Amino acid sequence: MFRLFEESGFTRVRSAVVPHFRFRKPATQNSAEAFGVKAVVFTATRPAAS
Amino acid sequence: MSDAVTAQESLEAVLKDEIIRMYQDVADHPEGEYHFFHGREAAELFGYDPEWLDRAPAGAVASFAGVGNPHLRSAIQPGETVVDLGSGAGLDAIIASWSAGASGNVIGVDLNPSMCLKAQAHAAATGARMECRQGQMENIPLPDASADVVISNGVINLSFRKRKVIEELFRVIKPGGRLSITDIVSAKQLSQSIVNDPKLWAS
Repeated sequence: MFRLFEESGFTRVRSAVVPHFRFRKPATQNSAEAFGVKAVVFTATRPAAS
Repeated sequence: MSDAVTAQESLEAVLKDEIIRMYQDVADHPEGEYHFFHGREAAELFGYDPEWLDRAPAGAVASFAGVGNPHLRSAIQPGETVVDLGSGAGLDAIIASWSAGASGNVIGVDLNPSMCLKAQAHAAATGARMECRQGQMENIPLPDASADVVISNGVINLSFRKRKVIEELFRVIKPGGRLSITDIVSAKQLSQSIVNDPKLWAS
């Protein structure tokens, strides 16, 4: 998704993992971990008009 | 149109129905147990100020189904126009309205018209200013360059067409505007069985 922001024209794209995110059900959390699923916060800016 | 495109569109339509059903269920039955944390428990887990949760309508808090806290980095200023993509029962939009103030404007966008009505009712109950527009994130029902800030919480991951969604975000954000979005990402390609199962995808 980070790449998609940049390719769409956004600048100053930043990301950070959301601490403490997890699924409620252990089986779901285990599956999520197997796929490297995590929550991330993204910030980005649309360039000002030149 | 190829069979593959037709199949993809059919699966996408089924997925959107499942998304509506699942999150309507959370709103209608916040006492239920789901794959994800929700309600006040989830909001506190993600660092929402307890004072916000005390001030916001109980129904909006109970139906919260986000995956993080986009407000930590949104820096909403008085007078700004804020769009909440996937506004659900309205908690994030209501919180945003407190920062945008009376001179600002908060617009929620949600796939489910019923949730739009619920969000607007929650906002009205506390005197918060918010409108909600029913629509798809792949085709945001807003003019070009209409938002100073876009926030979103656990929504874009539900789309099959994430590139289109992000292109739409770029279109509706004003030049110089910004976004603060929390969402689910996967380090690995999901199996086709998950992709093809709307219930698993929507979870």
